[in-house]
Amino acid sequence: MAKQFKSLHPIKFYRDYLNQNVRPDGRLLSKFRPVIVNTGSIATADGSALVRIGKTTVICGIKAELAQPKAEKPKEGFLICNVDLPPLCSSKFRPGPPSDLAQVTTRFVADLILNSGCIHLRDLCILKEKLVWCLYADLICLDYDGCLIDACLLALLTALKTVKLPSVDYDVAIDKKVVNEDEKKSILIYNTPVSTTYAIFEDKIITDPTAEEEDLSSGLITIVVKEKELCSVHKPGGSPISEEKLYDCIQETIKRADLLNTLINTAISEQTH
Amino acid sequence: MNVIDDNNLLMRKVNCKLDILSRPDGSVLLSQGDTVVIAGVYGPIEVKTQKMLINKASVETFYRPKSGTPGIGDRLYESIIQNICETSLVSALYPRSSIVVIIQEMQNYGGIISCAVNACCFALLNSGIDMKFLVASASCALDDKGVFHLDPDKLLSDKAKANFVFVFDNIAKRIIASHTSGSFNLAQYEEALELCKKACDAIFDFYKTKMKNEIANKV
Repeated sequence: MAKQFKSLHPIKFYRDYLNQNVRPDGRLLSKFRPVIVNTGSIATADGSALVRIGKTTVICGIKAELAQPKAEKPKEGFLICNVDLPPLCSSKFRPGPPSDLAQVTTRFVADLILNSGCIHLRDLCILKEKLVWCLYADLICLDYDGCLIDACLLALLTALKTVKLPSVDYDVAIDKKVVNEDEKKSILIYNTPVSTTYAIFEDKIITDPTAEEEDLSSGLITIVVKEKELCSVHKPGGSPISEEKLYDCIQETIKRADLLNTLINTAISEQTH
Repeated sequence: MNVIDDNNLLMRKVNCKLDILSRPDGSVLLSQGDTVVIAGVYGPIEVKTQKMLINKASVETFYRPKSGTPGIGDRLYESIIQNICETSLVSALYPRSSIVVIIQEMQNYGGIISCAVNACCFALLNSGIDMKFLVASASCALDDKGVFHLDPDKLLSDKAKANFVFVFDNIAKRIIASHTSGSFNLAQYEEALELCKKACDAIFDFYKTKMKNEIANKV
């Protein structure tokens, strides 16, 4: 009976649950889903990570290539992010050019990396004006069940921390590059931005929404923090909320960040052992 | 438009001209300092079958940059503006139809998102479509010394440690949208929010006086 009721009156179905302060999946309103982080999932990539938040699965692979720097920024390397939402991950996406959501997420994640200063592009320079590293970070969503940005950011940061670049000897005079595969070094990550997403459903705030909850909600808020500092408070429209509620969400995110940081560090230390 | 008597906390001059295009149902040319956009609204109009919604109007937004085709950055603006329009319009009144909002960037000298949102609200107001509330947007920048600058131009916002854009509604003055760049702490965020809220009050007053004059001229 509940099944029919859910498909006929999805909003009423949710409202009835939320009035009892519980969600259809059994979580309380402010409860997060379990998070799984796995590193080194792709052996052929220079750095990789797989992240699951509930059912949402994102895999990130980072490939390093040698490139020539831009003339206006001769000392800076490149970090190019790309979020891919293939048709496999949800019925919402069709094959073809990247969907709006994929483009917006790509841009948002790239902006965050730049804003937080977690990686300095200068560190990727091998020889000024001649040779730099270009890191291609490909994020592929395997299962889309809400909180895409959270999963992408977590996967990207974990993968960046596992990147090991070989040392390069470069002879400018004869343009000869020798890559020493045995001497691999990690890149410096200066801080770890992590995010959490909230959905607004009528006058309630739901933490860590699933795809279904995101669709029914009237707005999303994504908050990104790094070491007690805020990186982004992103609310792209949706129904209005009061300041107090927004500040509550921010406090919640700051608390959550410690846990996510420990999770990333544990995953990385386990890989090295 | 004086918000507070302090040079940093002054908004750039806002100017607007309504009904500048003949075909759209509502159109406006809005300038905030040297940032200029044109916004046009068509609607409710016929909708493509695949985009038709049976219980409400589908809202489509297009953001056109000054030159070239829209890129990934423009998609982000577009999605913000679309979400704002969707919440501010009473789309349930126009089922099986479409409301199209087009923003054409003319000149970008900082604060383009704010300017686009304000122009969009003006155009919707001008088209006479039903709205739940008006929206206004303001931006501010935080520099290295921890000083806030309201409505920064391009030079200021490029140098700033953090930039903030807020959108408020005119009824309860609640937050509709928030977009930030750079890093900052909670206290700074709260201060930026208060500052932009005051600036938005000034914009709501501007809407009112401008529409009043417009109607008086027509009568």
